[in-house]
Amino acid sequence: MVDEQERLLPIANVGRIMKQILPPSAKVSKEAKQTMQECATEFISFVTGEASDKCRKENRKTVNGDDICWALGALGFDNYAEAIVRYLHKYREAERDKATQNKASCSRSSQDKDEGDSSEDKSDQQPHQQIDVPTPSARV
Amino acid sequence: MRQAGTYSGMVISGKTGPHLLPLARIKKIMKKSGEEVKMISGESPIVFSKACELFIKELTQRSWMVTIKGKTRTLSKEDVASAVLATDLFDFLLNLVSQSAPAPLHPKPPN
Repeated sequence: MVDEQERLLPIANVGRIMKQILPPSAKVSKEAKQTMQECATEFISFVTGEASDKCRKENRKTVNGDDICWALGALGFDNYAEAIVRYLHKYREAERDKATQNKASCSRSSQDKDEGDSSEDKSDQQPHQQIDVPTPSARV
Repeated sequence: MRQAGTYSGMVISGKTGPHLLPLARIKKIMKKSGEEVKMISGESPIVFSKACELFIKELTQRSWMVTIKGKTRTLSKEDVASAVLATDLFDFLLNLVSQSAPAPLHPKPPN
């Protein structure tokens, strides 16, 4: 038998996030946290369903970060989508840095996995990590 | 051997680190969401960790607006239900919170 709690996001984590946005004097009932747990879990299922639907229509097997961003926008969570596109970009940069360090010999990254055209702010990118993109759109 | 970076280190060690929600749990929930969900990229749970954080914060904030109208300082599940009812974006949660809603949504009692 699957423990009920196993199918939900952990209540402690959910409670912590709630506290971050509330004033210090605020209290949250246990039932409210439980409700939030269920809502957040349902949110994941809801968005994943939309993202996987897109993958299926495009004959792709793997749901990736871009699919989730797209699904968020499609379902009306536009403001989340924008923040997450930036977050995803930073994550991919960190992954790329890691891969570059591992290679050691090559400073120019050959692992170009730029799938989204969302990166506008390149001010914090090092010049020697210029991305080689096949598309004609300027990335300088 | 791959060096554990900021993100992969967390996945390996099981710690959430800068992520507020456990990635393995998120992945489990994603897989359970449908039969057609077969493969999930490594970055997907990380993306959801952030998305859920934003979602929880927004719903909490809206719920709190309801709480303070009632002049209490304790956020209750009825407040969460009210916030869901008042927000079109959260229509997908209506069934989930209908049992906690202050006004009866369904004539039959919850089973």
